[in-house]
Amino acid sequence: MEFLVNWLANIPGFALPFALGALGLIICEKSGVLNLGAEGFLLIGAMAGAGAVLTFGGYPLLALAMAALASALLSLVFAVLVILLRVNQVISGLTIVFLAQGLTSLIALKQGWTNKAFTGLSSLDLGPLSDIPFIGPIVFSQDLIVYLTVGLFFLAVHLMGRTNAGLRLRAVGENPDAADAAGINVTAYRFVAVLIGALLLGLAGGYLTVVVSKIWVDGLTGGRGWIAIALVIFARWRIWRALGGAVLFGCIEALIPRVAAIGVQVPQYFVLMTPYVVTFAVMVWTSLSSNTASDEPGALGRPFVREERH
Amino acid sequence: MADIAKPRRFGRINLEIRDDMPMWQQSLAFLAGVAAGLAVSVLILIASGVGPGALINEFVVFIFTSPKNISAVLVQAGPLIIVGLSAGIAFKARFWNIGIEGQVIFGAIGATLVAINNIGPEFLRLPMMALFAALGGMLWIILPALLKLRLQINEIITTLLMNYIAFNFLLHLLYGPWQDPVSSFPHSQQFESFERLAPLGWQSLNMSLLIAAILVVFCFWFMVKSRFGFQLNFVHSNARMAKALGVRVAVLTLAAALLSGALSGLAGFAISAGIESRMTQSFFIGYGFSGILIAFLARNNPLGIVAVAILVATLMIAGQSLQVFYQIPFAMVQLIQAIIVICVAASEFFIRHRMRWVD
Repeated sequence: MEFLVNWLANIPGFALPFALGALGLIICEKSGVLNLGAEGFLLIGAMAGAGAVLTFGGYPLLALAMAALASALLSLVFAVLVILLRVNQVISGLTIVFLAQGLTSLIALKQGWTNKAFTGLSSLDLGPLSDIPFIGPIVFSQDLIVYLTVGLFFLAVHLMGRTNAGLRLRAVGENPDAADAAGINVTAYRFVAVLIGALLLGLAGGYLTVVVSKIWVDGLTGGRGWIAIALVIFARWRIWRALGGAVLFGCIEALIPRVAAIGVQVPQYFVLMTPYVVTFAVMVWTSLSSNTASDEPGALGRPFVREERH
Repeated sequence: MADIAKPRRFGRINLEIRDDMPMWQQSLAFLAGVAAGLAVSVLILIASGVGPGALINEFVVFIFTSPKNISAVLVQAGPLIIVGLSAGIAFKARFWNIGIEGQVIFGAIGATLVAINNIGPEFLRLPMMALFAALGGMLWIILPALLKLRLQINEIITTLLMNYIAFNFLLHLLYGPWQDPVSSFPHSQQFESFERLAPLGWQSLNMSLLIAAILVVFCFWFMVKSRFGFQLNFVHSNARMAKALGVRVAVLTLAAALLSGALSGLAGFAISAGIESRMTQSFFIGYGFSGILIAFLARNNPLGIVAVAILVATLMIAGQSLQVFYQIPFAMVQLIQAIIVICVAASEFFIRHRMRWVD
């Protein structure tokens, strides 16, 4: 029982970076921009979050905002490359990942942020609510960002599905030529979508350092950006399915330290492989069950070139 | 207020698609991109506390005036050329092989397996290691390749996930069964002398450079001259058309992917048997992106790959000395490579578009 409560209570914290990351990716990709730079945006957010806490000496919420901003700043480079300069989106995304790996490692080392522990954001204490047995630790003892993320999901579903702006954004990703003919500014919509996506990815990255690890080391994100990309494919670009997938991954990641704690003997490095093997399996499963309707944007990965319209 | 009332005429920039550009102009745009990338990198290096004088010293004087450093660059270029070929051949088939690092790891694992278990007689040891390295690399790409062809699963993500799995498996071996029994450090035991690539007789150059050269010639013939290469070009420019005209696209893609994996595996062999003389925890770091970058900048051309690989090798060797003398992390090398890619990719915009001022 205690094992179960411990496990369930830990899931939201592990699921959150995947959830926020996948949401950011869906918003970006709904506009038709394939974002393979996710890992890079997570990294820059994680590094900026840790750096901000160390610089300001606390203020974790401010640090999370800085994390989102740093990622948005980097996404400007990405947006200029893929939207204005029409560079291949795969190459651009990969380059952003490697740029971020180099940049975060360089900045953190020069600023002395590497391997320095700090006190980040702690969980909320909702008084009597948190003390309710079973439900208390699971539902009412999370940190602020967990609750915020749930709100963000409702907001995103509403904005994407029920507002004009959301409709236009999806039109831009589905058929940019038609959207352009209808008077929608394709470039502007894609820019904004990339920016919002990067803000969320940066927040997810900041969460990893400010709330989870409370320390920065090089390459801290450990491929979570790539897992988020796989999650989006698994979710078929549907927001609620993405949340479901993120929770599934949260379950697995939260289980790993518990399994070791109760003394199950599995070689350590095989345990560390699990998230990647599971992601792989999920990709295969998604492809095999392809009868489910997909919301994959029709123009995903294709640059919009008005001059080539036909 | 009067200013606003006056109609002011602004021109605007009109963008046009350029159909073709003379080769010399294209080369010029490419070189301008590389130069811009290097210029930005120099600014970042100066901002991180390396003086301009020191930069000239490290990058130009230090590298190109000492035979020792020239040979260090060439030794480094060997595996880089091989991973560049690996990326190039996969990209030609429109197969995004992002899993080069995983294949390099499994190449080294294959080679080390032969070395540790003393498989085969001594004079056949190195060829056996190379063979197992190539097989190891192929093993690590075959699943993503088949999944892409059979189930249309995105190979970018699967090959990338394979990297993480390979890395954890490497750690498992090095902290477990393959740990060095002599020193108990987490790396494999040192290869015997007949398991290392022989020196060529000048400075530190060894057989790995010769292997790289042979592979370049092979890939040049394969990609540019052979029927396979001709069909691959066809698939690259229009896979649907190629299929309609009877090219077996799936077989071709699978062959290119397997060849790419084998090449990455051989790069792992060249690094472990040619540079490190054992399998370490970090020998593969950076080769994945460098391979992609080299193939991208060289536009998948085997001869171009050699030139770009030497440039990247120079960066890496200079980066090592910056790390030692100026505490610049090795990640700087990765940063510089990314900046160069961004600048060159941006310069391609001007190759494909013409901007005209319209009044």
